[in-house]
Amino acid sequence: MRKVVIDPITRIEGHLRAEVEVDEYGIVREAYVSGQLFRGIEIILNGRDPRDAGLLAGRICGVCTNSHFRAAVSCVEDAYSLKIPKNAEIIRDLMAMALFIQDHVVHFYHLHSLDFVDVTSALNADPELTSVEAHKYSKNPFGNSNTHYETVLIKLQNFVKAGKLGPFGNGYWGHSDYRLTPEQNLILISHYLQALKFQTNISKAVAIFGGKTPHPQSIVVGGVTSVADMLNPQRLNDYLFIIKEAKEFIDRAYLPDMKLIATAYRGEIKAGMGRANGNFLSVGGYEFEGEQRLFCSGVIYDHDFLNVEEFDENKITEEIDRAWYSGDAKENEVCYTDLNEDGTLKTAKNSDKYSWIKAPRYNGKTMESGPLARVLVSYSKDNKLIKSFVDEFLHETNLELIDLSTTVGRNCARAIETSYICEYIFKLVSRLIQNIKYYDTDTWTKFDFDAQEKNTKGRAFFEVPRGVLSHFVNIKDSKIENFSVIAPTTWNATPKNLDGLRGAYEEALIGLKIEDTSKPLEVLRVLHSFDPCLACAVHIIDTKGKELSRYKIKTL
Amino acid sequence: MRVVIVGGGIAAVYLANNLKKQNSKLQVSVVSDEKYPPYDRIHLCRLVDSTENIEGISLVLDPTVKLELNQKIHTIDKENKRILSDTSMFSYDKLIIATGSLPISLFNIDGIKNAALFRSADDCEAIKNGVIGKTAVIVGSGPIGLELLETLNEMPSVKEIVLIIRGKHLYDKNLSIESIKIIEECYLKGGKIKISYEDEIVDKVIEENEIKLLKTKKLEIKNPFLVFGVGIKPNIEDFRGSLTCEKGIVTNRYMQTEDEDIYAVGECAEVKEIDFIAGHVKECTLEADCAISHILQTDLKEYEREVSIDMLKVGEFDLVDVSNPCFHANVEKVLITSGKDKRVDEYFISNDKLIKFVGINSNVDVGYIQTLIKDGDEVDINYLYQNRLIGERGRLICSCEHVYHQDLVDIVVQSGISSFSELSDFSQAGRVCGRCKIMVADVIKESQHLIDPNIPRKTPEDIQREKEIAEVAKRIDKFNTLHPRNNLTTDNLESAMASLEIGKHEVNSWISMVTANMQLHPNFEEVVEKGIKSLNKVPIVWLELSDCSGNSEAFIKSNNPAIEDLIFDYISLDYHELLMSASGDQSETILEDIIKNQKGKYILIVEGAVPLAMDGKYLRIGPKGETGIELLKKCAKDAALVIAVGSCALDGGVVAAAPNPTGAVGVGTALERNDVINIPGCPTNPTNIVGTLLSYIMFEELPPLDKFNRPLWAYEGRVHDNCERRGHYELGEFVKEWGDIGAKKGFCLFEMGCKGPYANVNCPTMKFNGGTSWPVQAGHGCMGCTEIGFFDKYANERKVEDAQSCN
Repeated sequence: MRKVVIDPITRIEGHLRAEVEVDEYGIVREAYVSGQLFRGIEIILNGRDPRDAGLLAGRICGVCTNSHFRAAVSCVEDAYSLKIPKNAEIIRDLMAMALFIQDHVVHFYHLHSLDFVDVTSALNADPELTSVEAHKYSKNPFGNSNTHYETVLIKLQNFVKAGKLGPFGNGYWGHSDYRLTPEQNLILISHYLQALKFQTNISKAVAIFGGKTPHPQSIVVGGVTSVADMLNPQRLNDYLFIIKEAKEFIDRAYLPDMKLIATAYRGEIKAGMGRANGNFLSVGGYEFEGEQRLFCSGVIYDHDFLNVEEFDENKITEEIDRAWYSGDAKENEVCYTDLNEDGTLKTAKNSDKYSWIKAPRYNGKTMESGPLARVLVSYSKDNKLIKSFVDEFLHETNLELIDLSTTVGRNCARAIETSYICEYIFKLVSRLIQNIKYYDTDTWTKFDFDAQEKNTKGRAFFEVPRGVLSHFVNIKDSKIENFSVIAPTTWNATPKNLDGLRGAYEEALIGLKIEDTSKPLEVLRVLHSFDPCLACAVHIIDTKGKELSRYKIKTL
Repeated sequence: MRVVIVGGGIAAVYLANNLKKQNSKLQVSVVSDEKYPPYDRIHLCRLVDSTENIEGISLVLDPTVKLELNQKIHTIDKENKRILSDTSMFSYDKLIIATGSLPISLFNIDGIKNAALFRSADDCEAIKNGVIGKTAVIVGSGPIGLELLETLNEMPSVKEIVLIIRGKHLYDKNLSIESIKIIEECYLKGGKIKISYEDEIVDKVIEENEIKLLKTKKLEIKNPFLVFGVGIKPNIEDFRGSLTCEKGIVTNRYMQTEDEDIYAVGECAEVKEIDFIAGHVKECTLEADCAISHILQTDLKEYEREVSIDMLKVGEFDLVDVSNPCFHANVEKVLITSGKDKRVDEYFISNDKLIKFVGINSNVDVGYIQTLIKDGDEVDINYLYQNRLIGERGRLICSCEHVYHQDLVDIVVQSGISSFSELSDFSQAGRVCGRCKIMVADVIKESQHLIDPNIPRKTPEDIQREKEIAEVAKRIDKFNTLHPRNNLTTDNLESAMASLEIGKHEVNSWISMVTANMQLHPNFEEVVEKGIKSLNKVPIVWLELSDCSGNSEAFIKSNNPAIEDLIFDYISLDYHELLMSASGDQSETILEDIIKNQKGKYILIVEGAVPLAMDGKYLRIGPKGETGIELLKKCAKDAALVIAVGSCALDGGVVAAAPNPTGAVGVGTALERNDVINIPGCPTNPTNIVGTLLSYIMFEELPPLDKFNRPLWAYEGRVHDNCERRGHYELGEFVKEWGDIGAKKGFCLFEMGCKGPYANVNCPTMKFNGGTSWPVQAGHGCMGCTEIGFFDKYANERKVEDAQSCN
């Protein structure tokens, strides 16, 4: 067995390391993923005014920025049993939806696509054939003309001729696991460039109600502050216009590109490459009319799509046996056991600690969370809204539901979800307009902070772009006594525990064949398919879990 | 404060004028033992040949300075802080002695009618009148002697001149034979002058207070008029009793004597530590600057010896002497001579470094030579040879300011000035040591006919700006000759623009915005554009330490006009974890390669705090598990520039908020350096990053910084002052609770805890996400994210006094 270390893993948020043990055939037999940065934001939150939690917790991540901002404010609202006005909820949702779209597109094109797309191969593309190729995946492909592809090609040629590719430099070009034809590569590269402009525009949609992004600044305990923007028809119109433009790109470029990749990498999909253990968790959410939710909540075990269990927050536990925290009753204790002298992770004993990420379990099991989990749970629970989107995609790519539980499938689910969100975001806006029209302009629920309970606790669960996010707060004498976060990447990148269970990242790597261990493209592809976000993932264990027992975040 | 300056020469006047300039409230007096107001000794020759009278060479003294003439100070009463002359007493808080030097005579000439020194206006008068009908005898061949020689040579009333020299050389004993020959030839041509080398006065016959006969080793001269030009000594005899004196009055590097209220400046002072007595005007003024800085306690300057430049222009030849302060005779010499042009370039080289240059009729770029000597770079003689004739600027006129003939003509033609006094707005030529003042005035006069009345005249600002732009263009060209990893060309940029559908107008408006925001004149737009196109020539390493990637996100994802995306792609961002396609070993190779092969050329941008607790192990990066601080130090060591982006990199930001569990600090603190440029914000506006990068490329130096090393152009204005809701503040219209009528109408957010009054940054004008909004527009208010420790001070929705009572 040979150990392959990949650090830093680039094109992700944060400091992630992967170590895989491969046998003589290059097959991965064991995998360890590790978060390599600890900041201790929860410790910093302790002792502060609960109303300040949002601005601070927002800084957990600059990528999932408004997710943490909102969740932190929401768990304080939960603690004070504050119900915020409809308008405020919608505005928070509108910011969240725009973030979904922005995040997914940037993830696929700028952080992930280069694992599938060989930039240098695109040089041999024939622009005319390229436009023909694009028509196979869309009736009306985005920016599809010979001259457009010629322009992209010339630009690319100039780049390569110069011998310098900027961020494209030193990639694994020419790796045998690049499967796309030159024309297909050219399509993707052309969209890579257009997506740069796309993400610039879509971010404005967040900023319209958030003031800026990353790190928007318009959510406060009790509601939102951007009431003037809400009441300005031009701002609403701008928002709609941006989303309409985005929808064009999603439906005519992003989704067709996923179909293209699903077709080209059909072999890998059918071989179940990158499949984790089949346990999926979704907390659902995003209200439409009445009880209708954008996503359903539920739990799937072992790819059993027919039996979707109801989500029960009491079944969440956290373990730290193999994470760098102390198992003692001491508060928030860090217990760093260091790396080996050669800089590798200590993994020799099955009790060795090797990551800053703690180990959340649901019902004692590791869970995969994210777009795939959402799509599978919602689909399996017969969510009418999403069903047609999934069916159409599976039909056109001749795939089955199980096939989505793979590296490529995870991306497909993400693209399906994006297209789906684009469709329904308009409903949210029209609800907002209806409210305003009938003189409901409330954006804040008045509350007297001093009159609130001095000792209380609250929690918030959200589906955010990368999966399930939960924030928990304990308030004592009107100060935060304890704050705890479980982020999507905490679920997916969990280390093993004494139970020996692999998390989604680790499980998905097992059985992978690495052609060239000096160029572990296959490993990157698997990890990137989860859209890792490490700044989010690392959270100190809540050693006061017993007081949070209402939510049963167990510690010892 | 009363400052009394003793002396009547350039040093005294310079001191008085500059003290007044820096603090007009000072009471400054100049106390001189001469009967004339201060005048410029450098032009004494003009008095000898009557081309000027005493007014013509007078120095301009600030009219608010009190001038006391005919006061020979003989006593310093340190205890009572006053000085005494025979007739008066002057009280001081600070006393500056600037009495200069006295000429040396080889024997006592008091009362002798036909002998003189050459140091004062009265001396000139004596020479002018006394020399008529006599054989002028000048002893000594230093610069002053040679100048006087030339003056007398041109005076028809003088029939015969003898120059007595103890050695075998003219001007300086290090001068080559070739140079001496050229100089000598100039003097001897008219037949009036006789030079006697290796000679000295051995005897004289004096009758009735007149020297009748001078006997030298080689000559007997009847009816002479003798002038001593052999040297000078510090004029300090009156102070020996009260101040420690060696060769001069002993001072420290602030020119302060042992008495903390007494300074000595100029030729009378001796900087003990470096054993130095000034000999040039430039040195005296530098000393004066140091003394002034110490007296006023502003921008303290210690005196350092600098490369000196001397010039001698006599009739048909000129001589330039550029010399390292630690020049020693133990050198190799390279001569480049041209008999035809009567030109000699002498390079004095020690250990492959140039330490002195003397040029006769030379036209090399004195500025370049000065830099070469100063920097101590190795000399490439071939280069010097090839550049010996760079003379399109004509003859060097002002050696202090490196102004050549053509430069002056250009100023005259462009700005239409007609006199020396008008020149001062454009150039200080002729005003530093004053030696070339007359020549400068002559050039201005001669060039008047070249002025074209139809061409609009340029102001000093125009010319200054043109000069700056030319400098910037030169600098950008320099970058363009670099061959970094990124060889993208302008064509690529244009095709990239086309593929991103970015129009020319969009680029232009972006450039205008950046130019305006960097507080540059619109004339700069063209070079800003060039600068952008050269951004890719600078390799950039972007490290993420203890961060949330928010600044990277801000930069690449949700930034201002798409153009910045493009620029970000376009610059040579060789290492950036969020963006680069390479991972693991492959990405580490890139990093190692840059650090090793681009030493001193790459820019390091750091995002995130640096955790120092637990030996920095809260953050490990790379295959070898380096800690964040190790990696940072490794990358920073040879970086041309370190830029800390975001609030965490400034002071640890949110990561260092109380109780700072990981012992996080900012980049500057972690590196123990005070030259790290901070561009804070949570996140930082990308325009501020691009602007700062551009500024580095364009000016080689950074824009002016505030006390936190933040570029002033972006962090000078207070948010509150530039806020769009400021009008409501003035009218007392405030939001009182979230979502109230005031909130709907966009009233001021001060009552809701907006920290705009405490924050300095350009958010109100720059905004975020392509000008879409900013926190105040979103109705929340500012949280002062660009300020030190803001998470503990400002990140809340309460007014500052309320917030404090809550915490």
